[in-house]
Amino acid sequence: MVPALVLWLAVCLSGTWAVDRGNFKTCDQSAFCKRQRALKPGQSPYRALLETMELTNTRLTLQLINDNNKVRLLLELYRLQGNMTRVKINELKPLKPRFEVPDVLIQEPPTEPLSLLSKDENGVVLSLGAESQRVIVSAQPFRLDIMEGHEVLMSLNSRGLLAFEHLRMRKDTQADPEAEKKEEADPANQAEEQTAKDDEEKVEDGMWEETFKSHSDSKPNGPSSISLDFSLPGVEHVYGIPEHADTLKLKTTDGGEPYRLYNLDVFQYELYNPMALYGAVPVMLAHNAQRTTGIFWLNAAETWVDISSNTAGKTVFGKMLDYVQGSSETPQTDVRWISESGIIDVFIMLGPTPYDVFSQYASLTGTQAFPPLAGLAYHQCRWNYNDQEDVQSVDVGFDQHDIPYDFIWLDIEHTDGKRYFTWDPHKFATPKDMLEALMVKKRKMVAIVDPHIKVDSNYKIHNEIRSRGFYVKNKDGGDYEGWCWPGNAGYPDFTNPEMRSWWASMFAYDQYEGSMKNLYTWNDMNEPSVFNGPEVTMHKDAMHGAWENRDVHNLYGFYVQMATAEGLIQRSGGVERPFVLTRAFFAGSQRYGAVWTGDNAAEWEHLKISIPMCLSLGLVGISLCGADVGGFFKTPSSELLVRWYQTGAYQPFFRAHAHLDTPRREPWLFGPENTALIREVVRQRYALLPYWYQLFHHAYHTGHPVMRPLWVEYPQDSATFAMDNQFLIGRDLLVHPVTEEGARGVTAYLPGKGEVWFDVHTFQKHNGAQNLYIPVTMSSIPVFQRGGSIIPRKVRVRRSSSCMENDPYTLYVALGPQRAAEGELYIDDSHTFNFEKKEFIHRRLSFANNILSSINLAPDAQYSTQSWIERILILGASKPSKVTLKTSDGQERQVEFEFDSSMSVLTLRKPGMNAGADWTVALQ
Amino acid sequence: MRCQIIIAATFWSVCVDSRKIRGISLSYKRFYRERKSFLCIDGSRMVPFEQVNDDYCDCEDGSDEPGTAACPNGRFYCTNLGFRPHYIPSSRVNDGICDCCDTSDEYNSLTWCLNSCRNLGQRERADLEGRMRTLDEGLRLKQQLIEEGVHIWREKQTQLIELQQVAEDLQVKLEEHRRRKNTADRLREQTLMALEAEDNGPRRQNRTITSIFHQLDSNNDGSITVDEVQAKVAYVEDEERILSEDEAVALLGGGHQMDLTMFQHMLWNNLRSGDSIKIKGTHGALVGLVDEDPNIKAAGSAAERAAADLKKVEEAFETVNMEISDLTKKLTIDYGADREYLFMNNQCYQLKVYEYTYTLCPFNQVTQKDVSGTEVSLGTRAICGFPTTHLASD
Repeated sequence: MVPALVLWLAVCLSGTWAVDRGNFKTCDQSAFCKRQRALKPGQSPYRALLETMELTNTRLTLQLINDNNKVRLLLELYRLQGNMTRVKINELKPLKPRFEVPDVLIQEPPTEPLSLLSKDENGVVLSLGAESQRVIVSAQPFRLDIMEGHEVLMSLNSRGLLAFEHLRMRKDTQADPEAEKKEEADPANQAEEQTAKDDEEKVEDGMWEETFKSHSDSKPNGPSSISLDFSLPGVEHVYGIPEHADTLKLKTTDGGEPYRLYNLDVFQYELYNPMALYGAVPVMLAHNAQRTTGIFWLNAAETWVDISSNTAGKTVFGKMLDYVQGSSETPQTDVRWISESGIIDVFIMLGPTPYDVFSQYASLTGTQAFPPLAGLAYHQCRWNYNDQEDVQSVDVGFDQHDIPYDFIWLDIEHTDGKRYFTWDPHKFATPKDMLEALMVKKRKMVAIVDPHIKVDSNYKIHNEIRSRGFYVKNKDGGDYEGWCWPGNAGYPDFTNPEMRSWWASMFAYDQYEGSMKNLYTWNDMNEPSVFNGPEVTMHKDAMHGAWENRDVHNLYGFYVQMATAEGLIQRSGGVERPFVLTRAFFAGSQRYGAVWTGDNAAEWEHLKISIPMCLSLGLVGISLCGADVGGFFKTPSSELLVRWYQTGAYQPFFRAHAHLDTPRREPWLFGPENTALIREVVRQRYALLPYWYQLFHHAYHTGHPVMRPLWVEYPQDSATFAMDNQFLIGRDLLVHPVTEEGARGVTAYLPGKGEVWFDVHTFQKHNGAQNLYIPVTMSSIPVFQRGGSIIPRKVRVRRSSSCMENDPYTLYVALGPQRAAEGELYIDDSHTFNFEKKEFIHRRLSFANNILSSINLAPDAQYSTQSWIERILILGASKPSKVTLKTSDGQERQVEFEFDSSMSVLTLRKPGMNAGADWTVALQ
Repeated sequence: MRCQIIIAATFWSVCVDSRKIRGISLSYKRFYRERKSFLCIDGSRMVPFEQVNDDYCDCEDGSDEPGTAACPNGRFYCTNLGFRPHYIPSSRVNDGICDCCDTSDEYNSLTWCLNSCRNLGQRERADLEGRMRTLDEGLRLKQQLIEEGVHIWREKQTQLIELQQVAEDLQVKLEEHRRRKNTADRLREQTLMALEAEDNGPRRQNRTITSIFHQLDSNNDGSITVDEVQAKVAYVEDEERILSEDEAVALLGGGHQMDLTMFQHMLWNNLRSGDSIKIKGTHGALVGLVDEDPNIKAAGSAAERAAADLKKVEEAFETVNMEISDLTKKLTIDYGADREYLFMNNQCYQLKVYEYTYTLCPFNQVTQKDVSGTEVSLGTRAICGFPTTHLASD
């Protein structure tokens, strides 16, 4: 959903039709970014005062002084468990406390002892423990270098871009404390005086006030921005810092705009540019063939990231010279982070493997919430399903066309006048009847609950929030009000834990009338979107308790989803797993549910961009990502729609959605051929649900992304480093969706020298480390299973995922070059937290020496399933003379089989053992 | 009723005969004769008979698993004794959702299904009966409307024919009257012309002049004097007033008397035209004197009568023709195969949808009126085509 209407109005008012960048700031239009970016690399004015150094068991502290203005900073350095270093820099004595981001870290990160290796007047060297890793603190100019052996892994402030705008009194008020009071009493007047006095400089400067498109930012605290640079020797590829509609590999920003992180509701966003979008995760990964590292910049204020690529230590001239001379010196990427307020709090994740970085980041901010199985199935959404009859007829439509689905969604029109937690009394008069009818079909519903609350004294939610003082306040202390779907709306202060707990309590079945246990929630517009606010969001001088929106902005959506997910957990007494979709997000949002890429459009380019957008999110912990299938704005051709279904079915969060103004596009509205194509791909998704579920279970424990770029699995294969037109699901499935109109073929890259890949549809075997041309028709979805893997499927696809709960499995054993394969099987009740009480089945399936066995990976866990193994396909097999099944009770029996010699596929017929049991199957 | 018994009996026999083969209909029974092996219905493959419904899909067409969920493309036959049998996709067998009203699809699931076939059957039969009643009632109404339509149609046809007859009669009459009027006009003209000719002829005219002259010449002295003029001549506008001497002199051409010759050239012309002066006691121009000729009078009134008569007939003819064209127009509209919609002519129906009131006047126009009273026409000729088969009673 989008503030389409209001933006349309805004566009009309501004007299231009370009829905565009003009509504959003460039770095130049954001005063602190402009000031900071004006600062060029050079000698840092900061000096470390080594005599102030204190080293305890857990941390080192040290003062830094800016030799230009003599303001002192306090540096804190921690060595964290799991090969991470935390660097915190704050003012030593700030005029008032500066904001430090709470609630994002799952705990105070456990530290490990730092030991001093050497110290002299030039600096100190500290050991980071194992692997000869050291951090060198250089005193003048101040810089930090993290070394391993003789190799520099990362340098901080090596380009001298540490810049810390200390909090200060207003210059003209410093001399006269009386004037300060006057100023507070009449800021407008004061502002006028200021402007008159010092017009040019003040406007340009924007330190104490700033105006953008008629919105003024009062900036009562003055300048407070921070900046720090990082140099990454040997690195040419950096990733992450979502959300941007851009390629997977981040581009250099020299001469252009920096990547911006500021949660915004961007109407009809443009592709391939660094503009801010709905969410922000200030995490960047750096990768080369030897090592992967990460930088987590824990700051929730507006942030800009500059990336430049250099040759280490060379000036621009030197670089040119290198180019001319064909120098082979190591490449280097330089990164600079700029934030508007708060402190520098950065976590340096030292890898060295991609998976290490994922685990390191997960140890800080937590892992992906383990969704209920149904959340991984197909979601049917539209703005809007008009009424209960409409919902019922769509539900019936799916059954008539034999297409499975698990969730049907209701957008804002289901409410009584955009009052969330209510139902339109005419169109959704009996929501429980509707939910009951879905429940009979074992299906579920998601209804939207946005954070903007209609200002209406007849609305319970509003009255409660107002009377409890839970609304965000404007700069003058009144309730902040802005324009959104319901008209005039208040914005609850989700940064307040009391507010969140009250919000959570509103999801109780007796509070949220008409709700039932198969009703789940969607949080949209939580950037927050304010139609009449600056850049369609909240004024930066709005107050969340003691803090300005400036400080907490990027956390708002994170907290909304947190409180909502907590509500869904609480309503079931802590038993059921929640499912909450959010549009805005921050580091840590992975803990609360799913994210989608917002209001995309029915265009081929938007289909393509869904891949790098979700890959980028996966790299920073948010695995449950999807794009609106079909495209939100505009109307897809049936070809685009089918291709989008084929792509979306192989992405984590699989939901079709459409704008209010577009024609209906349920899967059966495009002729029987297209219906059949869509049916087929949705069925493929359902068949693969056991694999998706197992991967999400894994992601919940490890933080490893489910949808992965190829380089994560093939970190040394530089051909994969910038690849974002294909991806892996887990380790074992490679997907190269068809995203070109009228495509007759695609060229997929199959990685892995000496490896083999099997086409999942034909079982044809292909060698790794090759570009494979694949002719395609409308029914083609190029997907390959890695040789050496075992994937469980449930091929009896039914109406919804829960209908398939007790169904048997088919195991797809794809033999690797060593005629071996491994996989896992994970089973639990699919919707509760009981798996945390060890109620699950987790088995390793492995094939080696012609024996396939199922081994219990969690002997202390207990769960029983009715599911059994109905079929085993062994791809790349040779024909055995007999196949023997041995079960745990010692019984042996022959298993019937068939062998297809053309594709070397051995099919074992109905071995029949329980999926939770120990067994072996021997080929002889 | 007899039909139901037969159906029930058929179902029963299916149940008995193929007790072992779950999920097939009677017509498919022949494919599942118990033999050593089973040939997939598409002929693609032969499997041992034990593999029929053994919960493993062997046939590509799914035919070996009619009673389980094993085949992705299979189908399961719900016998639904007491209700209607039908097929469901195999994927709905034992999925925890009751699909067959006889519960046969959930033979191995935790979901407890209630056999609702009898109820459904009863309800459906009741429903059907209700619908049949409605249909009958509708048909009856339709017949009535058709009859009514035919009646109206005939009436209108008769009316049309009558009108056309009237029009024809009027046409004849019209022509007759036109002729009559022409004749009368001509007669009057001729009479007038004859009179004129007489008046204007030297003899007749002279005689007339002479007689007027003598009329004015009271003393018969052969000349008209001022006194005589004053006594006999008056202004048309003011007959009562006696002419002054000057006026009389002026009329006499400036002299005090006038002989016949002069009279003929001067005063006669004035009198004759009758514009300003006249002889007392007479009306209009001297010609009026002439019109008082009984012949002319008779001819004039005859012509007037003829004209009035013609006008009446013309009006009648026009009215009748308008009625004919109106009726013809109505009769050319399509009122359905049996003119069952004819009754809707001249009727209007209203429907309130939210803030709008729609008024549908079949064969005329459709309008939308909102609460503020603004009316918008949505088109005319609201009904153009008809379902050819039925018209429900409502």
